[in-house]
Amino acid sequence: MSVLNDIKLKAKELLEKGDVDVVIGYAKGTLNGKCTPYFVRNANDVENLVWENGCDINLANYLLKISDKAAVIAKGCDTRSIVNLVKENQLDRERVVIIGASCPSTESCQKCNHPDPVIADVFLQGETKVNNDDFSDLESFSKLPSEERRNYIYKEVSKCIRCYACRNVCPACYCKECFVEENLPAWIGKTTNTSDNMIFHLTRAIHVAGRCVGCGECVRACPMGVDLSILNRKIMKDVKELFNVESGLDLDTKLPLNDYKEDDPQYFLIGGEKCE
Amino acid sequence: MDRKIIAFLCNWCSYAGADLAGVSRFQYPANLRIVRVPCSGRVDPLFIFTALKNADGVLVAGCHPGDCHYTSGNLVARRKFALTKSLLEFIGIEDGRVQFDWISAAEGNRFAETATKVVEDVEKLEEWDRWGGEK
Repeated sequence: MSVLNDIKLKAKELLEKGDVDVVIGYAKGTLNGKCTPYFVRNANDVENLVWENGCDINLANYLLKISDKAAVIAKGCDTRSIVNLVKENQLDRERVVIIGASCPSTESCQKCNHPDPVIADVFLQGETKVNNDDFSDLESFSKLPSEERRNYIYKEVSKCIRCYACRNVCPACYCKECFVEENLPAWIGKTTNTSDNMIFHLTRAIHVAGRCVGCGECVRACPMGVDLSILNRKIMKDVKELFNVESGLDLDTKLPLNDYKEDDPQYFLIGGEKCE
Repeated sequence: MDRKIIAFLCNWCSYAGADLAGVSRFQYPANLRIVRVPCSGRVDPLFIFTALKNADGVLVAGCHPGDCHYTSGNLVARRKFALTKSLLEFIGIEDGRVQFDWISAAEGNRFAETATKVVEDVEKLEEWDRWGGEK
């Protein structure tokens, strides 16, 4: 409750002083337990803000869609996305006031290890449970026979109707023209056959490699219930183990796929050892 | 059975290596379809995934680390390839299906050996379902 009060006070102050044109936060959603993104432009409307279980949506993406000076109420994953967007020159850090607060969600994102903001102009700490890295889901998946693993992915992927909602909500997917829409050459078929869907989802996983923060927005946005976060988590684990980088934690570290070391591991070569 | 393999070869080393294998008359199977790319760094994993829609295997080869014509193209590619290979293994794609190697312009014999090995490996694998096909 007190965190919410502090959020409202800070939002009101920023709007009244004219420091920002808009504060992006959450309001009650139409469904119970869900919250909806809420843009406050009038200081009186700060009363509609909420900060509670269900405030899951990653708000970083909205910063790209407006050009006003904005404040954003950000939890761990939002701030990590903002860090990446600033690093990738998509967002001007000066344009954004980050009101950081510990993630209020209790149910979603069970394995999240960064519920607290990594950067903030104001930090309102709440009660959070900080987890250590937990990749046990990947380990048990890896133990399945390869055919079972493949069939699981095929099954997930074949639900996809290629609406690209996952891409549209993803804060790491901001390309003006995405490879799926390019025509000369057409890199990928437009059907919803398993094969075209596989190519789409694998490529998307690789394109956000080292930048995905695991906010889970793609899974939440999917109208068909496709959950391929296991691919993103696998890459996240590899990036951490092979290149010792965790996405979006600070503004100085180079993006892992824009960087290299002389002695990067070469497990992937013919005759190379298996990557664990 | 005739397996089809797409080979992405960098212009400066591996493609020249393949050429050397040719002019030196080193034998290697004719299953390879070579795509010349300016640098192994040009190989978006998308190419590999798309190639597997119509082929049974993929070979990607570039200059040895340190020898890149563009200084660091293959070093940046290396990180991508490491993630790609690991991801493919994770989702149950066989080890031999997609292979990577460094082959210099002077290594005509190595190119022939690698090509032979990749073709043999892919022939040993079960028939590839081409990402689940037209389902």
